[in-house]
Amino acid sequence: MQAKEQGFIRCHDCGALSETHHKLSHCPRCDSLLHARHPHSLQRATALLISSFLLYIPANIFPVMIVNQFGTGEPNTIAGGIVELFDSDMIPIGLLVLVASILVPSSKLIGMSVLILCAHFRWQINACRWTKIYRAIAFVGRWSMLDIFMISILVDLVNFSGIQIIAGSAATAFAAVVILTMLAAENFDPRLLWDNQQNL
Amino acid sequence: MPITDYDICPECDLLLKAALPKIGEKAHCPRCGLLLSHPRKRSIERTFALSIAGFILFFPSLLLPMVGVTIMGNVSTGVLYAGVIALFNDGMEAVAIVVFLASILFPLVNISLALLISGHLYFNRYHRYLTVWMRWMQNLNEWGMLEVYMLGIIVACVKLVALAQLNFGWGLYAFVALLIITTLLTSNLDNVLFWQRIEQLRKGRHHAG
Repeated sequence: MQAKEQGFIRCHDCGALSETHHKLSHCPRCDSLLHARHPHSLQRATALLISSFLLYIPANIFPVMIVNQFGTGEPNTIAGGIVELFDSDMIPIGLLVLVASILVPSSKLIGMSVLILCAHFRWQINACRWTKIYRAIAFVGRWSMLDIFMISILVDLVNFSGIQIIAGSAATAFAAVVILTMLAAENFDPRLLWDNQQNL
Repeated sequence: MPITDYDICPECDLLLKAALPKIGEKAHCPRCGLLLSHPRKRSIERTFALSIAGFILFFPSLLLPMVGVTIMGNVSTGVLYAGVIALFNDGMEAVAIVVFLASILFPLVNISLALLISGHLYFNRYHRYLTVWMRWMQNLNEWGMLEVYMLGIIVACVKLVALAQLNFGWGLYAFVALLIITTLLTSNLDNVLFWQRIEQLRKGRHHAG
């Protein structure tokens, strides 16, 4: 049984409860708009997710940064940077970057897709488990910004006449993927998973 | 039973009898396991103190040099805001804006809002924008990424170790301190209590006036 069916709405911002039959449009405590569920949750999440899927391709193909050493430029893709870390025996840091910039974004894209499909087609799933997966996706999303921050630091620090690091075009695409998947996770309403379960 | 005796889980929409955990205890949703409330000892006082400290520490960590590198006799020093400028000059405006927001503006706004709100609650002052500030602070919390930036500094340093000599400046120590303060700040800030106190202040004002 969902609180929505029992006639209660929780304010998304302050958590105050109000009764549906009062037909309030704003929260009596904090005055923000009341919604039983995030408005257009699935449409927004789907749109944001599709854009991130598309941007994920240039983010991995094009170089995120270019090391200019004595006139010759060496482009570095996301995967290339990790391989380089492994090659120079910095395995823990390599693993960290591997998790943050490859495993996290790709599993986020797949996980969000499955969540949206579950909610859209009203599949009978273990809602508890998928809510936890959703929580994990929402939690780890921000850590993918690691690569972008690292590039901003390197671009600033290594800027000499002999050697220069400049940011590549994939950096924009990758930053957009991270931001858009975070927004997709924020717009997805996990309560939709529970609404569809018949035997609660 | 009045409506305040109930609570709803924000992630699975289960109607619950409101749990009233004592300080240090945690209340979880019985159906989906979400942490509903975790009251802290002296939350308002601690938030006030920590946000003052964070606000003060923000400026040295923004303005003092964090890392210095020496490559083949050339020296350069890195400051928190300089990465944004360097990206901007390289024509990566979008990335520069994202880095600026996530590592400078949002953390600063967050600390300032925590300072404003906890200051008002500490001195029992009502302000008609208190609820707006609370909403902004809650929504921005996810977008300030100081801890991710710290990891970015570490990875950048590891990458540079092979070809450069590194030395660390006061900006980095201030940044680490700021990071600890903001982590403590988020864990000590009890949203449930803050909203209750704001409502009390508003009601008190209506009765008085």
